[in-house]
Amino acid sequence: MKGRTAAILAAGAVLALLAVLPAFVMPYHVRVGQLFLLSAGLALAWHILGGFAGYWSFGHTAFVGIGAFTAGLLHVHLKLPPMLGFAAGTLLGGCVSAAFAAVIAYPVLRLRGIYFAIALLGVSQVLGELSQNVDAFQGALGLNLPDIVPDAIRPEVFFYYCFLALAAGIFAFSAWLRGSRLGYGLAAIREDEDTARMLGVPTERFKVLTFVLSAALTGTIGAVYAYSLGYFTSGSVFRVDFSLNMILHALLGGIGTLAGPVIGAALLVFVTNVLLGRLLDVHLLVTGVLVVGLVLLAPSGLLGVLRDWRARWRRNERP
Amino acid sequence: MTLVLQTLLDGLVLGGVFSLAAAGFSLIFGVMNVVNLTHGIFVLIGAYLAWSAQHFLGVDPLLAIPGVMAVLFAAGYAYQRTIIQSAVDRSSLLASLLVTFGVALVLRNLLVLAFGPDFKSITPSYAFTNLKLGALTLDIVRISALAASLGLIALLAFVLYRTDWGRVIRATAQQDFAAGLCGVNVRHVYGLTFGVASAFAGAAGAVIGIVLPFAPPDEGHWTMKAFAVVVLGGVGSPAGALLGGLLLGLINTFTAQFIGPAFPNAMMFLVLVLMLLVRPHGLLGSAFGGSR
Amino acid sequence: MSAPILSTRGLTKRFRGLTAMSDVDIDVPAGSICSLIGPNGAGKSTFFNLVTGYVAPSAGSIVFAGRRIDGMPTDTINRLGIGRAFQISKPFPGLSVRDNVRVGALFGADGDRDPDAVTEDAMTLAGLAGHRDAAASSLTVGFLRRLELARAIATRPRLLLADEPCAGLNPSETAEIVDILRRVRARGLTVLLVEHDMRAVMEVSDHVFVLEAGRKIAEGPPQRIARDPAVIAAYLGTDAEDPG
Repeated sequence: MKGRTAAILAAGAVLALLAVLPAFVMPYHVRVGQLFLLSAGLALAWHILGGFAGYWSFGHTAFVGIGAFTAGLLHVHLKLPPMLGFAAGTLLGGCVSAAFAAVIAYPVLRLRGIYFAIALLGVSQVLGELSQNVDAFQGALGLNLPDIVPDAIRPEVFFYYCFLALAAGIFAFSAWLRGSRLGYGLAAIREDEDTARMLGVPTERFKVLTFVLSAALTGTIGAVYAYSLGYFTSGSVFRVDFSLNMILHALLGGIGTLAGPVIGAALLVFVTNVLLGRLLDVHLLVTGVLVVGLVLLAPSGLLGVLRDWRARWRRNERP
Repeated sequence: MTLVLQTLLDGLVLGGVFSLAAAGFSLIFGVMNVVNLTHGIFVLIGAYLAWSAQHFLGVDPLLAIPGVMAVLFAAGYAYQRTIIQSAVDRSSLLASLLVTFGVALVLRNLLVLAFGPDFKSITPSYAFTNLKLGALTLDIVRISALAASLGLIALLAFVLYRTDWGRVIRATAQQDFAAGLCGVNVRHVYGLTFGVASAFAGAAGAVIGIVLPFAPPDEGHWTMKAFAVVVLGGVGSPAGALLGGLLLGLINTFTAQFIGPAFPNAMMFLVLVLMLLVRPHGLLGSAFGGSR
Repeated sequence: MSAPILSTRGLTKRFRGLTAMSDVDIDVPAGSICSLIGPNGAGKSTFFNLVTGYVAPSAGSIVFAGRRIDGMPTDTINRLGIGRAFQISKPFPGLSVRDNVRVGALFGADGDRDPDAVTEDAMTLAGLAGHRDAAASSLTVGFLRRLELARAIATRPRLLLADEPCAGLNPSETAEIVDILRRVRARGLTVLLVEHDMRAVMEVSDHVFVLEAGRKIAEGPPQRIARDPAVIAAYLGTDAEDPG
């Protein structure tokens, strides 16, 4: 229990630090912070399915896109007052994502491992292309969203706090989920689905529920992301690199751990935007080397390496 | 009617290229259960090598194929014995997915640095000759691409089913442990498999170069196409790759012609997802089925 | 003998051309320890897979505690009160011993329970209390078998299917497993055992069913089974040179 209190205190301290940060740093760094929080939120949302249930989606950008397009089309067709439109779009973005996930859940969740991963990649590609080529979606032309940022506050700061709230919310939800009955059921599914079933875990229901939850959260982020862009096309929300980054961040930090996706996102965003900000030519190269190094040197993520070190250190301490 | 025939013919040409580009991917997936996301890059490297051969040495791209294959065989073998094997040893097979993805990023970046980000295409001397067959137009280039694709797939089938290398590769795919007990150096065989697969990826690149333009960011595209072919046709066998590739080619051209030029990819993925749900092991099943 | 808790009638399973089980009638009396024996390929695992819903029967019925369960999904069958310990131990390797057992306690049979108490109780019953915090992946074979049993017991079954819990164990480990099974029965659970270790079977069983090539060829108390000529010919005869 002492460890748990310490963890809650640490999480609170990090949250407080992130909350006051925009007051002390330059606008560019607030934008980097915004990108970090967006990435962390997405990685956490992906991790609910990929980390807890062990179903690695390679197409989670589908839900970012659905959320964004829901918000965009809602605005185009209803022209609600900006703040109300933002609230409604965000809420509805999550709902439509969830509904779509519920529709495809039954068939795609029958697939396992790489086949599930690729099926979702396929789904995201189809949606991306449809949003671009079906005129009703206006994905090729692009959608405009109204400016919702109050005058008193700078836009990057406003969206920084939006993404902070989302990431913190999803983190808290994950923390609750992990210790819950659902969380134990998902861990069992991740470790061995057939055995889980023999222990009475309602695997089908849990998988669908988790998939829908993960999609809803991703869709909500997608809607907010669309507002933060102001103007977006299919290409700016249906992005393969979104899907891949969610996986990379979680893997880098440590799959199955709570803080893993956040730490992974922080590190990768820092490396690519701050250290390599001026080296766009070799951006992919460095990212690639990082990924390869990670899997070869720290297959269980940074937190996994830390845990192994601690275990070894303890063993050495009492021979 | 002519339109349908012409679409059919174009589909077959495209399909032949898809088949060849997927054959090596399918082999690696079947033998080692590794989804090699570097595959598309190897295809592109083949294309760039063929382009260089023509650009700098004036060698016909199709005649450059043996050289391209030799280079990529060596690269593929070395790649497996170093990076892939340690990834497979150290962690899950799903992680080998990430390693190959990382290597693909590195190589894509290197290709951009070496050749620039723009599209390139190879124009052989016979690029503008064509035959008229009634109302049908047959480009010499496309016909030779189709012939080269089919010939190379036949060669791969020959290697796998009629040579000692092929026998050892197939035996290892079915029972790596037992093959090891019989004195087979399993790691060496995996290296060979990667080498052979990469060589055929490179050959596919040379053929692709004469019919389609190519650029470094295409690699993901070719990897996905290979995956789609494998899902459609079945894992591990040249016949599965051929069937899946031709089907995919036809789906592509017919969708473009009769539904709209923007939809072939959406249609391809739709078919892919449906196929995964209905028959996840492809039309011909796994060539090494039963073992896993 | 008391009323059966599990009974099958005409249970048949065909895989494509192969008939793995044909026309098997088995009644497992409530509160007993029964064993299912037979040479390799006799259909023992198929029987377990049918009862637990991993495969659906081609024909016949399975009635558990008065309800038809054939065709039901595995998790529903478990919630009705059938637990299974697997032959090849399938722990959740990434979880601790305690969390492994806790999954069973959190799920399993319907009804009220205190997951913490159930977890502790199942671990104590299976002699795992000292290994609570060990990673499941670090256990030895003997303890993996206990974990397998503890996890199944934590689902609070009325019928426990134990698939070769003694395979590969030395005599003292085997004796401990037999002891656990007896304690399980003492709590009113019914146990159906598949086991190759004939000493354990003879020692612990009230009633033995013998399968050969997918058919039931004999059943009865262990002493009679040991003398049954058909059983000796089919099974014990071939196994006699290979004790253990």
